[in-house]
Amino acid sequence: MSKGQVGADLVSEARPGRHDVMADELDPDDAIAGVFRAEWGRLVAGLIGWCGDWDLAEECAQEAFAAAVRSWPSDGTPDRPLAWLTTVARNRARDRIRRRTTEAAKLALLVATPEEEPMVLPEITDDRLRLIFTCCHPALPMPARIALTLRTLCGLTSAEIARAFLVTEPTMEKRLVRARAKIRNAGIPYRVPPPELLPERLSGVLAVLYLLFNEGYAPSSGDSVVRVDVTLESIRLTRMLRELMPDEDEVVGLLALMLLTDARRPARVRDGQVVLLGEQDRSRWSTAAIDEGAALLSGLTDAVGPYQVQARVALIHDRASSSEDTDWAAIANLYRLLPSTPITELNRAVAVAMVDGPRAGLDLIEPLAADLAAYYLYFATRADFEARLGLAEAAGADLDRAIELAPTSPERHLLQERRAALA
Amino acid sequence: MKFMLMHVLEELPERASSPDQGPLGDWITEMSARGVILDGAQLRGVEDATSVRSTDGDGVVLDGPFAETKEQIAGFDLIEAADLAEAISVAAAHPTLRTGAIEVRPLAPGMPTPAVTDPKPGKQRYLMFVCWDQTGDPEIADAGEDEDEDEWIERWIAETGERRLHGWQLQPPSLAHVVRNVNGEVVVTDGPFAETKEQIGGYDLLECADLDEAIGIATAHGDGLLELRPVRTT
Repeated sequence: MSKGQVGADLVSEARPGRHDVMADELDPDDAIAGVFRAEWGRLVAGLIGWCGDWDLAEECAQEAFAAAVRSWPSDGTPDRPLAWLTTVARNRARDRIRRRTTEAAKLALLVATPEEEPMVLPEITDDRLRLIFTCCHPALPMPARIALTLRTLCGLTSAEIARAFLVTEPTMEKRLVRARAKIRNAGIPYRVPPPELLPERLSGVLAVLYLLFNEGYAPSSGDSVVRVDVTLESIRLTRMLRELMPDEDEVVGLLALMLLTDARRPARVRDGQVVLLGEQDRSRWSTAAIDEGAALLSGLTDAVGPYQVQARVALIHDRASSSEDTDWAAIANLYRLLPSTPITELNRAVAVAMVDGPRAGLDLIEPLAADLAAYYLYFATRADFEARLGLAEAAGADLDRAIELAPTSPERHLLQERRAALA
Repeated sequence: MKFMLMHVLEELPERASSPDQGPLGDWITEMSARGVILDGAQLRGVEDATSVRSTDGDGVVLDGPFAETKEQIAGFDLIEAADLAEAISVAAAHPTLRTGAIEVRPLAPGMPTPAVTDPKPGKQRYLMFVCWDQTGDPEIADAGEDEDEDEWIERWIAETGERRLHGWQLQPPSLAHVVRNVNGEVVVTDGPFAETKEQIGGYDLLECADLDEAIGIATAHGDGLLELRPVRTT
């Protein structure tokens, strides 16, 4: 059995703690699980690049891991697990292609005859960047982009994704099948977009990751307060993207924003209920995550993209010892740097109200009423300003409206408590 | 006169119908012998459609068709007929009427007869529907009477080059007819197959390396809502 590091030459340096674990110190199942976490995305991405067939790539990647489960416990974990898995998966793919007599002609190039088959390990290319851009292609519906990213890059099963998004497994399975069919039928290319398309498409990828993060951090429906797995996957994917595109400031900005927001997760929930920022126990915030996010931001130049600006807002909160101690004026100014939308204006109003008082906040949100007429936080925010101005009756009515509109039961519960405190 | 026949079905068949045999083969054989058919293709369904809302060279990519309709376009035939009556009779003879309907729409005058080519290997064809709100649009007496528009569309055609196989403007939906088979009787109604805000007003048949190339062409079109529908190869 090898005493070598687990694929040290293949596993990226950006995963601290994983690459320096000795393979034979691990329970074989754990070793395989670790390799699965680290290498699934790269294995599938490389296979799609090699054969151009998403279904085949995924099926054979799965079979390769099944083969690993059978042989690694007795034979030992190979020195280069990804190369081993790739070889097994490609052999399975060749077998399947041979059996598909009707389609054989189309894929004939792939079916090398045994004597031509190279006996060396396959060259491993990192196709994950091509994979993420294809999964997040704007021609795919947003739910399909999210499902496909979680399935092919993270290796989540359709059952796991279905649970995370509160749909049935057959529905999720159908969504994935449909997405792969559209990639094939509509001719969505498997590539990193060319320079003229890159800014737009990259912002599309970041939007998917941010949506995923938010869905995990503050689910838009259901009874849970956070879905940790979805949050962690979105952070893992953003880390991966940063490794692959180290010069893109907005990728760094998004990673910082996720870390600086997720840092507060330990204090965001108490007894299954949401705790507002101002009332959170700040000693429970993750200093490691805050430090990492701050370090990421300090490495950026002043080019200000929206994720970077939001990350800087998050950092001001994270560094403050209390709500009173927070530099609200700086936050209000940062919000001015964001593209003006009703939501950013609402957030800016909250900051302005902390500096100039609730009347100023109320004036700022007045013009947003029509745009945010179905947004519970608009009414919750207005109720807060009104309560601070002593307008208890108006505040009560707005809280009632917010309770009606709140998307999840924990949010609803929090608002009901505020409503009770008002009366 | 040239007409576009748009085949509309509520549900697309799993596989494309063979153009070489069966009722479809018979129709193609007969109409080709009569010199009626100029070009035609079966399309992939709306779930494989992508649209682009193009404004002054900026495009927003949308993940579906230009409009949600009960029936969807499953294919088209470009035909040459003496008049509307002949076009309707050509449509009435098509096997699509067993399961769906056919919208018959005259093309704007002046379209040259397109050269029909075999698909290039490794390329994907897309039928691009050019759509806009045509409420009150008049009948087109002479294509290209607006000189500004002429110049702009000619530039787009030149830039698109060989990737555009053919295309033309259609007469407004007010001149459309729909041919159906109702209990064994051929019934012809006025108007388009679906009343949608935006209506198909033109088409271009594109041959591209991939969807991104087609999206680029649609974006460069510069005006309107453009649906890209992959052409079925088998």
